[in-house]
Amino acid sequence: MSGVMAPTRGQILSLYKQFIKNANQFNNYNFREYFLSRTRSTFRKNIKQEDPKVLMNLFREAKSELGVLKRQSVISQMYTFDRLVVEPLQGRKH
Amino acid sequence: MFRSVCRISSRMAPSACRNIVGRPIMASSILAQRFYSANLSKDQVSQRVIDVIKAFDKNSPNIVNKQISSDTQFHKDLGLDSLDTVELLVAIEEEFDIEIPDKVADDLRSVGETVDYIASNPDAN
Repeated sequence: MSGVMAPTRGQILSLYKQFIKNANQFNNYNFREYFLSRTRSTFRKNIKQEDPKVLMNLFREAKSELGVLKRQSVISQMYTFDRLVVEPLQGRKH
Repeated sequence: MFRSVCRISSRMAPSACRNIVGRPIMASSILAQRFYSANLSKDQVSQRVIDVIKAFDKNSPNIVNKQISSDTQFHKDLGLDSLDTVELLVAIEEEFDIEIPDKVADDLRSVGETVDYIASNPDAN
């Protein structure tokens, strides 16, 4: 094998999209906001990263984390939580 | 297909045809309505897209104070980078209850293009 295949820009954006979508599905405000901000900050932290090796590792890591996120968001939908005071009463923003 | 069969047979025995298919002429118009009823007007779509953009909470003052028209470009005029654009499109997807495929999403650079896409998507509501 010659070199490492770096993930393309499209693949990364599509992964980001899946993170945001799944994070949005949490019923619980704290979990939802946590995962949204965590997703944003991790992707942004590496926005200038160009080393294909590092990128591939990050990509792989993020993919397995996405699995965790998907499972947890499904589980979170099985429980109901009271609204917090910080949440708007009429509908959510997202 | 059904109709043509019906037409042929109705020439010979109109009453028999009616018995088999039930109102043969009505059938096609009902189907057409069911498939194409959810279309939104372009004005409605663009108003809702603009509302989503205004509510998009990353808000740089760029978005809040800006007059948004169909020519507004996400990157150039609103200062959104690729990650922000993805997030905005997710918010828009949720608003209209559709899924924008990645290939299309790559080409959506302005409010107008997005509105056109949504207006042409029969699933949008």
